[in-house]
Amino acid sequence: MSEFQPKILGFLCNWCSYAGADLAGVSRIQYRPNIRVIRVMCSGRVDPVFIINAFLRKIDGVMVLGCHFGDCHYLNGNYNAEKRILAARKLLSLTEIEKDRLYLDWVSAAEGERFANLVNTFTERIKNLGEIKINDGTKEMLLAVKDVLEGERFRHLTGVEYQVTEKENVYGEKIPVEDFEKKLEQILYEEYIKARILRLLQNNELTIPQIAQKLNTALDFAFKCVCSLQENNIVEMKGIRNGYPIYSANKY
Amino acid sequence: MNTQKIGAVLVVGGGIGGIQASLDLANSGFKVYLIDSAPAIGGIMAMLDKTFPTNDCSMCIMAPKLVECARHLNIKIIPDAKIEGLSGDAGNFQVKVRKKARYIDAKKCTGCGECKKHCPIEVADRFNQGLTRRKTIYIDYPQAVPAVYAIDKNNCIGCGVCEKLCLAGAINYKDTDIVENINVGAIILSPGVDVFDPKVYTKFGYGIYKNVVTSLEFERILSASGPFSGHLLRPYEGKIPKKIAFIQCVGSRDPQVGKNYCSSVCCTYAIKEAIIAKEHSKNGLETTVFYMDIRTFGKGFEDYFNRAKEEYGVRFIRAGVSKIEEISETKNLILYYENEEGAIKKEEFDMVVLSVGLVPKPDMWNLSRILRVNLNNFNFCRTSEFIPVDTIRDGIFVCGTFAGPKDIPETVAQASAAAGRAMALLTESRGSLVAKKKYPDEVDVSNEKPRIGVFVCHCGINIGGYVNVPEVVEYVKQLPDVVYAENNLYTCSQDTQKRIIEKIREHKLNRVVVASCTPRTHEPLFRETIREAGLNQYLFEMANIRDQCSWIHMYEPESATEKAKDLVRMAVAKARLLAPLKRVEIDVIQKALVIGGGIAGMSSALLLAEQGFEVFLVEKENELGGNLRHIYKTVENRDVRYFLNQTIEKIRANKLIKVYTNARIKEITGFVGNYRTKISVGKFEDEEIEIEHGVVIVATGAQEYKPTEYLYGKDSRIITQRELEEKIFNHSTTEFFNDKTIVMIQCVGSRDNERKYCSRICCSQAIKNALNLLEINPDANIYILYKDIRTYGFKEELYRQAREKGIVFIRYDDAKKLELQTENGKLKIKIFEPILKEDLIIDPDLIVLSSGIIAEPNNAEIAKMLKVPINSDGFFLEAHVKLRPVDFATEGVFLAGMAHSPMTIAESIAQAQAAAARATTILSDKKYYAEATISSVNEELCAGCGMCGALCPYEAIVYKEKDGKKISSVNEALCKGCGTCVASCPSGAMTQYGFTKKQIMAMVEAL
Amino acid sequence: MSDYKPKIIVFCCNWCSYAGADLAGVSRLQMNPNFRIIRTMCSGRIEPEFILTAFKKGVDGILLTGCHPGDCHYISGNYKALRRYNALKLLLKEMGIDDRRLKLEWISAGEGARFQEVINNFIKTITELGPIV
Repeated sequence: MSEFQPKILGFLCNWCSYAGADLAGVSRIQYRPNIRVIRVMCSGRVDPVFIINAFLRKIDGVMVLGCHFGDCHYLNGNYNAEKRILAARKLLSLTEIEKDRLYLDWVSAAEGERFANLVNTFTERIKNLGEIKINDGTKEMLLAVKDVLEGERFRHLTGVEYQVTEKENVYGEKIPVEDFEKKLEQILYEEYIKARILRLLQNNELTIPQIAQKLNTALDFAFKCVCSLQENNIVEMKGIRNGYPIYSANKY
Repeated sequence: MNTQKIGAVLVVGGGIGGIQASLDLANSGFKVYLIDSAPAIGGIMAMLDKTFPTNDCSMCIMAPKLVECARHLNIKIIPDAKIEGLSGDAGNFQVKVRKKARYIDAKKCTGCGECKKHCPIEVADRFNQGLTRRKTIYIDYPQAVPAVYAIDKNNCIGCGVCEKLCLAGAINYKDTDIVENINVGAIILSPGVDVFDPKVYTKFGYGIYKNVVTSLEFERILSASGPFSGHLLRPYEGKIPKKIAFIQCVGSRDPQVGKNYCSSVCCTYAIKEAIIAKEHSKNGLETTVFYMDIRTFGKGFEDYFNRAKEEYGVRFIRAGVSKIEEISETKNLILYYENEEGAIKKEEFDMVVLSVGLVPKPDMWNLSRILRVNLNNFNFCRTSEFIPVDTIRDGIFVCGTFAGPKDIPETVAQASAAAGRAMALLTESRGSLVAKKKYPDEVDVSNEKPRIGVFVCHCGINIGGYVNVPEVVEYVKQLPDVVYAENNLYTCSQDTQKRIIEKIREHKLNRVVVASCTPRTHEPLFRETIREAGLNQYLFEMANIRDQCSWIHMYEPESATEKAKDLVRMAVAKARLLAPLKRVEIDVIQKALVIGGGIAGMSSALLLAEQGFEVFLVEKENELGGNLRHIYKTVENRDVRYFLNQTIEKIRANKLIKVYTNARIKEITGFVGNYRTKISVGKFEDEEIEIEHGVVIVATGAQEYKPTEYLYGKDSRIITQRELEEKIFNHSTTEFFNDKTIVMIQCVGSRDNERKYCSRICCSQAIKNALNLLEINPDANIYILYKDIRTYGFKEELYRQAREKGIVFIRYDDAKKLELQTENGKLKIKIFEPILKEDLIIDPDLIVLSSGIIAEPNNAEIAKMLKVPINSDGFFLEAHVKLRPVDFATEGVFLAGMAHSPMTIAESIAQAQAAAARATTILSDKKYYAEATISSVNEELCAGCGMCGALCPYEAIVYKEKDGKKISSVNEALCKGCGTCVASCPSGAMTQYGFTKKQIMAMVEAL
Repeated sequence: MSDYKPKIIVFCCNWCSYAGADLAGVSRLQMNPNFRIIRTMCSGRIEPEFILTAFKKGVDGILLTGCHPGDCHYISGNYKALRRYNALKLLLKEMGIDDRRLKLEWISAGEGARFQEVINNFIKTITELGPIV
């Protein structure tokens, strides 16, 4: 039996990490061959949706490598990339897909060796994690994560996080990063569960206990999420079963 | 120095009380500043789903008033505001008001809600009692006034998305607090209350057990705009509850939590919530109310209570709940309680509602210090029974729940009363600061083809839940002359009014049809709207698809939808034929007739005279005073005789008040602004006087019931409370107080089969007399036999005192009747003692019957003369039990005091002042604008047969000569617009504007 | 026969019966939906021609409602309605229309339940009579 060879995708920014990878090549530094690279102009361009799509296509690990802080060719693209990728990792931690399959780090144009080391280490880690398990269950989870990542709330919050926590918000104030992160974490969890519920209700009419059981979440939390969906006319009440309202997704 | 008083009033708090006070003031010539600490006015009433005892939709009846406030030229609403300082004196106050930064420019915000859609941060929604979450940019409720969003800065992360999305450019992150000095002549306090936070009762587990909610939370749960879209679900996981328990007196009548007062409203609102919950539930719901005493003392409340028991099957258990436990698997709740027999019981429920009491808001102490007004022991505003809406400080008045727990109609009455007191203070400056409304010039549409716009209302789910509104809209679009149709969540909301105006302009509409609720409440609002768009206000028609369609065909949505289409089609058919109309101006005789010289009538008369209006005060007895002549002390131990004499003196001294005693109303003719009344004066009716006046206040009072039960009249040892009070204060019969054992029997002539209503005042009266008896004879054994003790509000303190002093209270009910016998000349009462579970025999020396209040028998006569209704108990029936407590449906006629229902002295005075204030809204203007839908004669066609004139009850049709021909002619001021003459005209010459033959036939034919 | 949905017009006066109908709504009293209300200010406004035309156009039943005697907001409009009603009844008989198809009832603003009862009974009568010919 041949050894497991993970499929690894790397997003590299044009100005630093891609140049670093080039340098590794020019310097003939040898590293593991599992990585395939996509060049983007800035790590800030990496839409987390790309990453989920990669996982859904059975890519076992994704690396996002940008410039070191302060070096970004576009001033603060890498800061934004950090917020976004870390948030995406938080979302992954809610699924059965290991969050460590997504990795973010910084490599400068002069760090050929560092690049090679990072690739080797990450490849090793993914090898240890084994092949990504894409089945009906995990697919649902990843699709829900994708829904969240595509959603306005995620994009908006991760988009402004750097500005409001590190620089200043519209009132000229700074929001403590811990406060923001705490809020964000709650929001991501809720958005994820809402996305899962919505997917469930696309083709099913379910009660709250059924939803909670399928998602393995607390009854009250499931109810709270359904109420929020209902308030926005995404989910509607269809009738009553066993003393509970049944819900389904609004077709409009 | 300029001593001119300022013709403006500051109203603090925009709940229903503040709204009413503002409207009365603004409609009688004063500029009003209405401030509220919240971002929108509306107060607690806006949060309620329904109101007792008619189960009217709270928002539906309130919305027109909200909108009127919002669009009133002389009311300036200042939200997010509080008072920081006060200087000056009555007549000229300088008030320092801080307006919190809202971060949104109220002038620019259109209330479109786009910002809210995209705001990423959610927090608990205060308006929904934390049961849902709202965005940090928000508006409290759809009909909110002002309809302007606000940013909750404390929770906002400052991301800036709202600014980017706001097309109106209304977002202003640089906004700051503004401190402004407002110059007013008087201040009215109506800050309202909070509800009690039940967390202090750890035994109920509120805040820990999710299915234990407060009554206000439950109100939101029941509301169509509430957290569960009007479905009755329990908050933990959305299960449909099958058994709900209500626990009464949570934070009321409990000295241990510092609340030894009764919150007055909880019993009736719990009954309401139990009834509404049952109506919500299609699969049967059990509701149980755990209570100490049921206090349904208001007008129509007892009947409501009986219906809850008998018709709706609400279960009532007289027991205190000692603790609640949650079953961790099901989250159901086990209630432990001790029943009347003393047994400890437990019972499982799905959900528990805590009927929380009313408590003053936390910052009231601070406010009272700034304004230098006094608070009572419980931090409510201190008032006096004889001047119920005055504070200790001149020029500052108070109304509503801040002056003590009370329901909506009492709040509204007090609000009008406070407005009246302010009007009297500032009379000389009336009209000095008001602006007149300018409407755009009326567009001449007479030569245009009809272009009809139709607005169909969802009314939340009130219509939309049963009638397919989008389908109706699609259908309407095909009707002839309809050029525009749309649906609205609430057509009555302020933003929709703006929208209607926009659509009129955009589509050049010249007729508007609204399909929503009843024209009886909402037609004036929409007429005003189209007037603002430059249309004549009569180019409007309504289709009643809620009250008369969706609500009465709830289980047949298809038929209801069909019916709604028909009703709209009929309205459109009429609208095509509508023509512009003008309202006739009528001169107002600025004088008032007050019928009844009791405390209510006198109070009304004084308040009107203080404002410079002449008053005719008519009393049937030979002296003024009414029932007060038999009362000596109030429950707060104030001297009634002194007060009465003082009041009579004031009346006699006032040159503007003409008093007629021994007088009877013989005939009243005329109409608002122009009444002519014949009064016969003197014992032998020897003099007949004719007076002219513009308004009428009915204050005919009521009587003590003369008992026929319990051997009354057959034995001198059996007397009524009123007789007892006379004896207590008449010291010539002191030997009488050697009586050792005295029994008082409550509810004599009240709450029985003949008179089902509660007489409201007898419980307090009995306890007052009992305490006074004890003063004279401390050794007396006093028993009070009762059904429920109804010492509502701060009178609860009296009840506590009575028990402390050893007065024995024993409950009886109709099932276990009292038995009274005489044995060898001795009185014997047999009563079943519920705690001992056996019959108790008492041998009283004196029996005092707490006989109820009955309506004045000649109310019926007055009612006929004025064309106003009386209810089945013989009391007068007001225009609306909640929001128009002292008005009659007939313009220009008002109601005050016990003619309305049994009430205390303070309540009578407040109502009387309210009626005077309401009357002032008419008297303060020299003109009254009559209805426009009156009759008219086509002189060409009139044959002069005179049929119409013979039929007209108002003698509004007279003959005139034209071109040598006798023809009929309509006196526009006298015509009331019934249309009876039109229906009888044989030559088709008569017509009624707004209800022409063509219009009605068009409706018939459209069917 | 059970599918038959009669066409019924109910004339209501603004002050009493229309308010009674509103009260029925506010009280959520459920009733047969086969009727349509036309509001006039007073029952006295209703012209015989409205009724005759309606029958001619195929309306199956007409219910006139007004204030109870003595309650009329316009003093006596309802008495005039009563007189016209009696005359109309005779006329209908002559025209060969079953006079049960026209009915007059007094309903006050406080009688939501009575409104419901009157409506349901009238619709029952008309349903039994079947379509007008």
